[in-house]
Amino acid sequence: MSKFARNLSMLIVLVLFGVALAACGSTETPVVPEEPVVEDPVVEEPVIEEPEEPVVEEPEEPVVEETVVKTERKGGWLDEWIFTVADPAAALTQIKAGDIDIYAEGLQPAMAQEVKDSGLAYKTSQGTYFGVFFNPAEFADGSFNPFGNRKIREAFNWLTDRNYFAQEIFAGGGKAKWFAITTEWPDYADLADKVRKLESYYAYDPDKAAEVITTEMEGMGAELVDGKWNYNGEPVVLKFLIRDDAARTAMGNWTSDKLEEIGFTVDRQYKSGSEASAIWIGTDPTEGNWHMYTAGWGASVINRSQANIFQEMYLPTSQQGISAFFFNEAEPEFQTLGDDLYNAKYNTLEERHDMMSRALELSLQDSLHMWWIDSTEFTPYRTDLMPVADLAAGTQNRVAPFTLRYEGVEGGTVRWAQQDLFAEPYNPVAGTNWTFDQAVISATKADDVLYDPYTGLLHPVRLERSEVTMLEGLPVGKSLDWVDLDFADEIVVPDDAWYDWDATTQKFITVEEAGVSGLTAKRKSISYYPADLFDTVQWHDGGKFSVADMLFSFILTFDRAKEESPIYDPQAVPTYQVFRDSFKGFKILSTDPLTVEVYRDDYSEDAELNVATFWPSWQSGELSFVNGATSYLAEEAGELALSSDKSASEEVEQTSYIGGPSLEILEKYLDQMIEEEYIPYEATIGEYITKEEAVARYEALKAFYADKGHFWVGTGAYYIDQVNMTEKSLVAKNNFNYVDFADRWDMFATPKIADAEIDGPGQVKLGEESAFDVYVSFDGDAYPANEVKGVKFLLYNAEGVLVEVSEAELVEDGQYIVSLTPEMLEKIGAGSAKIEVAVVLIPVSQPTFTTLEFVVVE
Amino acid sequence: MSANTKIDISNINKQAKINTVKRLGKFFGVRLIMLFITVVVGVYITILVANMGGYVDTIMKAEIKERVNMQVAAMTANKPMAPDARGELVRQMTELEEERLGLNTPFAVRSINFLKNALTLNLGRAQNMVSDHGSRAVKNILLERLPATLLLMGSSQLILFFTTVFLALMLSRAYGSFWDKLVVTLSPTSSVPPWFYGIFSILIFAAVLKILPFGGMVSAPPPKGTIPYILDVLKHLILPAGSLIISSFFISIYNWRTFFLIYSSEDYVDMAKAKGLTSRDIERKYILKPTLPNIITNFALMLIGLFTGATLTETIFLWPGLGRTIYRAVGLFDTPVIVGSTIIYAYLLAFTVFFLDFIYAVVDPRVKVGGGNS
Repeated sequence: MSKFARNLSMLIVLVLFGVALAACGSTETPVVPEEPVVEDPVVEEPVIEEPEEPVVEEPEEPVVEETVVKTERKGGWLDEWIFTVADPAAALTQIKAGDIDIYAEGLQPAMAQEVKDSGLAYKTSQGTYFGVFFNPAEFADGSFNPFGNRKIREAFNWLTDRNYFAQEIFAGGGKAKWFAITTEWPDYADLADKVRKLESYYAYDPDKAAEVITTEMEGMGAELVDGKWNYNGEPVVLKFLIRDDAARTAMGNWTSDKLEEIGFTVDRQYKSGSEASAIWIGTDPTEGNWHMYTAGWGASVINRSQANIFQEMYLPTSQQGISAFFFNEAEPEFQTLGDDLYNAKYNTLEERHDMMSRALELSLQDSLHMWWIDSTEFTPYRTDLMPVADLAAGTQNRVAPFTLRYEGVEGGTVRWAQQDLFAEPYNPVAGTNWTFDQAVISATKADDVLYDPYTGLLHPVRLERSEVTMLEGLPVGKSLDWVDLDFADEIVVPDDAWYDWDATTQKFITVEEAGVSGLTAKRKSISYYPADLFDTVQWHDGGKFSVADMLFSFILTFDRAKEESPIYDPQAVPTYQVFRDSFKGFKILSTDPLTVEVYRDDYSEDAELNVATFWPSWQSGELSFVNGATSYLAEEAGELALSSDKSASEEVEQTSYIGGPSLEILEKYLDQMIEEEYIPYEATIGEYITKEEAVARYEALKAFYADKGHFWVGTGAYYIDQVNMTEKSLVAKNNFNYVDFADRWDMFATPKIADAEIDGPGQVKLGEESAFDVYVSFDGDAYPANEVKGVKFLLYNAEGVLVEVSEAELVEDGQYIVSLTPEMLEKIGAGSAKIEVAVVLIPVSQPTFTTLEFVVVE
Repeated sequence: MSANTKIDISNINKQAKINTVKRLGKFFGVRLIMLFITVVVGVYITILVANMGGYVDTIMKAEIKERVNMQVAAMTANKPMAPDARGELVRQMTELEEERLGLNTPFAVRSINFLKNALTLNLGRAQNMVSDHGSRAVKNILLERLPATLLLMGSSQLILFFTTVFLALMLSRAYGSFWDKLVVTLSPTSSVPPWFYGIFSILIFAAVLKILPFGGMVSAPPPKGTIPYILDVLKHLILPAGSLIISSFFISIYNWRTFFLIYSSEDYVDMAKAKGLTSRDIERKYILKPTLPNIITNFALMLIGLFTGATLTETIFLWPGLGRTIYRAVGLFDTPVIVGSTIIYAYLLAFTVFFLDFIYAVVDPRVKVGGGNS
């Protein structure tokens, strides 16, 4: 080969390599898994009139209930549910390549466009909500802090272009947010007219913001020198803690730019979560280490009443334990209102509505938290899959095992990818509560009640019915028929009700024995289980469900918090104390059929959330008395501990029923239980189960362990067939012995979010009456009137100012009429106008908005 | 005369042996002490850095407060609780968590405890992390990930080491050839990190060609049976190991080749050539032999380097290795895990350095252990 040829060939190699490198230039920087800190909230998007993405956008045709074929299949729709892990950065590619079927954890808003362009189906759910949290303290060194002034904080609402954030920074992956209440939850729907009015009033208006800020700054003695605010001759420097994620950095920078435009000097401090929290939470606010922080909050459970939110997010009485709250000198009216709402000091739901409405207004005037955006996360999946996304937990929800399926198919395998698996030991009582582990746990778990993914109300699963008696005057209502609600002037706890637990004798202490006869409670709940409960329900190991299972968990609630107990655990004490403060008594009225009665002081404003439940269901799974007994013995012997705290203090492993060093220990005690015909808490549970029945249950679990290699059993629609812990995968298979048919919860397959349209004249005359028709439908059919809580309309004038709020009248199912009186038109005046309709529904918490523009002429 | 001479020689030999033992004893004693001090200093610096000199306590306390608030908010959703009761709940849970993490003990005291436990190889329990099987014992956390790391790093680094040394040796004998120039030209490709090759190869072989997996160590669920399982692991190993190999391949050959070139141009090599020895004999006896101490040093250090894993490559390929574990431990400020992995590496390094002195003396007669200036 000539020298020229050699050099040429080398050059070609180099060029090819360079091309390859260049081709990869746009490849994303690898995304390392985020460190788990808190659960991300997931809430679906509301349907609003803005030309943004629809609430739940799925390329496939929506499936209506009527088209679902009735089935004889028991358990879940799938044969096999494989849980595995995937990198979010590669999730879309992996789904498209057929490597996985769904990436169940929400992808960040930054990936919104990529998800939409992928051709895959996806669900949207609410992610973290962001805003500015101000430090209101007076600084010890005398340096100037403008944010002790409420009006300056309030002015930030006009200074902030939330729609720009939603459209540009979040690329449609977020919604403008003004309030602490969550946009898609029941309170927002209930207050829809008020929030629209306030959103209109606090719309982006930088001139107004500058005007207010200037007035207030000058009032506090600051002066504008060469376009910069000075105080005592020194520039006013705002220390802004900006979190270093892309979205918050962008919003923080945008806000900083605006502040600099109106004369502030901004010290932009970009921090990771850990670094920032060490300052905004970890330091004394009077030290002046920060003025503003790009806060992000979330929620993982639908909270049907957010009456507590004003105290928590604004007031010095906030129990969050974050010292900046203590320095907020709130308006007295807001302080009283926030505290009263927190303590439920209202007698009717109407009164509560009015208080919430006023609190919303005052919260914007206070603006200790000034909200920016409700971010949206995206869950992509293959187009023939039908996951359900709930308001709080996204696709990783409690109804997933009863609803996840391929369209029109019974059976099949789903490869369900998440960010991680097995983050902490699996035990129902105090084990892992990470969202990705909860997805696995939910697959195996059943309960006596099930949360509605769209309203947060409870539906009965194993309950036949429930009766709730509330103390007269408490603001409690009901929405569903399975609960009977009534009120009583006084609710006395019977003397023979169980009141406490004696950990020494292992027996319950009755009200009479405790010397508290005549004890009263705010609510009494009686729940009736079906007569065939103990014949039909069985654990995954084949063992028959027993009242002993329910009783064991109930006892454990007390026993772990009693110092005399061999399994006393300090970690159980704080939550037990909360339970103890509210719990007044419990009775098993009958075991055939099972009927239980509970007396408590805590209550929710929804009767459905006040029912008595007795299922052995814990935050992290179901606990059979068999598993409970093995871990009891292991903990008593000092070999294992259920909680992480106790495992740390005792320097033993935390109990895990799914793998690791626990299994050998648990197996040892299972053998011991068989040999000794052991019954846990025998003095009490011995009355409900015989030794033979107990041993049969132990043998069933032993056989299951021999077959599957783990002890994780539930009564749910899927059982765990394979666990591969280091490899991070798990296979769940359908439990054909499950009680219910697979289609029982098909009602959740598609959220019943309404479509709304307004039809009417494009031009109306001043002084004359006019009418507009409103059509409310779901999937082309009229929305039943008994499922519509209300249809409100809002009138805006040409300047966009809200001038009237009123109710539309029902004509028939799916049709309402909006009547505009001459007085209303007078308020609008001649010119263009807008009518906005808010439809508030019962089956879903998300209100539907729609608008129509028209002209008012003389 | 002769008897005296014998006695003298015997005495001299005896004395020489005594001197040698003394010299070796002194050398190794000093060496061990110095290495131990180095380990102590290194580990303590690690503890200080991992805890930011104690500032991590502030960070962790703030994080606990934030986390507890979120937990309490979830617990009390739909169940209104009196503000005082809620505040008390937050306070109690915060205290318990701080106690669990030892934050109620001053950092200075804890740092000494960390050091003492590390030096005695009492690795203890992790603060936040658990092993894949749910154990909080640092030993289990590290041991569980060790096989995967050794598989990935061992296969890639051993292949890399032996192939590059072998090829470099060949190239050193073919200076200026086409292959030599090709290697020199391609050596800058090693400036591209392995994770880049990882992403690139995933795109090609997993996303487009669909012939290799995106990541993980084995399919989900893993195949049943030993042979299918091993084959499946090997299939998953190709891309991550390939990325690690390719990213260092050319620069490694270039390094070794340059190193061998120096020895290839020694006079005694020319003399060997002139004597008509075969290339193989020249390579083995005249080039490889004098360079053995360097090769062995590199090999030994490479072996202990296997225990550190490859953080980013493991992350890209979701490989359940030590690199990701340690990276996560750093993110979670889990000092016991960080210190646990550091002390193992530190001891391995110290022992390797210690024993290399012996090995140098064995493979190279010019080296005299503890000879120094004396």
